[in-house]
Amino acid sequence: MMEKIIQVDSLTGGYDGSIVLENINMDVYKGEVLVIVGRSGCGKSTTINYLLGLQKPYSGRILFDGVDIWSSPQALNAARRRWGVLFQSGALLGNYNVIENVMLPLMEFTSLSRGEMMDVALSKLEIVGMEHAAYENPLEISGGMQKRAGLARAMVLDPEVLFFDEPSAGLDPVTSGELDETILSVNRSMGTTLIIVTHELASIFAISDRVIMLDPEEHGIIATGAARDLADNSKDPRVRSFFGRKNGE
Amino acid sequence: MSGAIVKKGNTIMLSGRFTVGDLKEITSVLEAGSGKRMIIDLSHCDSIDTCVAARIWSTVEGSREAGLPMELQGLNPDTQAIFARFKTIDEKPLKPIPKPTLLYNFEDIGDKVLATWDTVYGLAQFTVNSFKALFSGKFRGSITAYYMEQSGVMAIPIVVTLNWLMGVVLGYQAGYQMSQFGGELFMPALLAYSICWEIAPMMTAVLVAGRSGSAFAAEIGTMKVRQELDALEVMGFNLFGYIVTPKMIALFLVMPLLITAANFAGMAGGLAAGGIFLKMPAVVYIAEVKKALIPFDLYWGIVKGLFYSTIISVTGSYMGMRVRGGPASVGRATTSAVVVSIFLVILVDALLSLLFIHIRPGLTL
Repeated sequence: MMEKIIQVDSLTGGYDGSIVLENINMDVYKGEVLVIVGRSGCGKSTTINYLLGLQKPYSGRILFDGVDIWSSPQALNAARRRWGVLFQSGALLGNYNVIENVMLPLMEFTSLSRGEMMDVALSKLEIVGMEHAAYENPLEISGGMQKRAGLARAMVLDPEVLFFDEPSAGLDPVTSGELDETILSVNRSMGTTLIIVTHELASIFAISDRVIMLDPEEHGIIATGAARDLADNSKDPRVRSFFGRKNGE
Repeated sequence: MSGAIVKKGNTIMLSGRFTVGDLKEITSVLEAGSGKRMIIDLSHCDSIDTCVAARIWSTVEGSREAGLPMELQGLNPDTQAIFARFKTIDEKPLKPIPKPTLLYNFEDIGDKVLATWDTVYGLAQFTVNSFKALFSGKFRGSITAYYMEQSGVMAIPIVVTLNWLMGVVLGYQAGYQMSQFGGELFMPALLAYSICWEIAPMMTAVLVAGRSGSAFAAEIGTMKVRQELDALEVMGFNLFGYIVTPKMIALFLVMPLLITAANFAGMAGGLAAGGIFLKMPAVVYIAEVKKALIPFDLYWGIVKGLFYSTIISVTGSYMGMRVRGGPASVGRATTSAVVVSIFLVILVDALLSLLFIHIRPGLTL
């Protein structure tokens, strides 16, 4: 039996009083690659925001390793030290170069010397194939490189869970495929749990162990299971139409 | 034009292809046919684009309303589909635009009051959180030094120049008025009081609000739009400690220095005005200034600077943090940062002026 790392219990939330997610229940298991999919406006990114503690739910609980992340500021901070995030844009700080961006969490939360921090940062940049651009300005490198650097920063404290918000957005299919491979290698080599929001079919089939599908009308989960299984066997027309489209539609 | 328009009797015949570039010619032919029962024959027309179709459709609909309906003939399936779409749109009732009522005006006022309250409350809460972070977080020397350079060192030329000019203007105007009754010797004292008590702190605050307050709001707003703040937050950074307090400390340290520089620049402006316009010797001017001022007057500017620096850094940061959505809201945040900062600076200045009268040695009402 796989061990749960995140449990979402009856979560309801949205923006400014409107409901985007209603009574969501889901579990994330250690070491799995969970992909959250659905049409635009179904609440994929909102779900990630809740899991990350960037928004407080109207009701319900999010347990990280059995502890409600909203039970205290300390609980939220403790959870945050154990996960990493790659945002859509890479979210690198423009005031620092690539390696300084990767070193940020090390500077803040460790007592490593500058040389040690550089060793750690360079090793992470090497994993994502970005060591050659370590001293570049993040605003002057391509979108794909920004995401790779963002991934290196997300991994720098060896988190137990990595979140990805639309990692393929704005990337060409080749770069997107390469990023998928990098993401998958992180999961395979370090056993990191991955939670990914995407609607790129190729990525979904390539990297997911399990898929959760949200629907904007239901404000919740309408399907869960392996991607291939959902694509081939789901009786729900919304699921069939999602998986039935050609990639890029 | 890759098509041809032929008007024969009561028939307008379009043949070939028509695009938006042909709109002028088509319109003139259609207008020439208005007021008559015309037939628009499209049987030889290969294609028309949506703009041309819209013009033909509106002309046909207009003629129908005028009681002299034009007739469309020879539509191929493509053009038929375009016109069918227009027909559907015309048949669909538009959502009625709500008429402004008296109640609406009251609601609007109420919304604005609530929004203002929201800003005031939010700013107060933000200020409390910023001070908590200031006293509980770690000191970030290099970031603070960066903002000291940006907001302090780089502001010196503009602060000194403008305050010097203010000194010249005030010195000249005060000197001119006083010379009317032989009181030009009082100009240095008047100018020194004006500069040190009000002009230098206020001008410096306005300049710093315009330079640094807006820059803080724009920088933080852009970070918000680019999800950099979210990234820092989920990495476990205390946003107040990392983003706001270095700016607070930097302005806290440089503002008194800028005001002191502004004081001297303003008085130097008065010296120049006295020398040029009133032929007042520099030694006389300096002696009169020394006679008028006490150290308290210079310290007062520094005290004001501490208040103003807090207002500008916290307001700029708050407005940046409030950014929602895209780049347009960064622009709005920048404007709000400057306007609200200057408003609060003037408000606090008024309160401090009341206090000043009571606490300055040698000043009685």
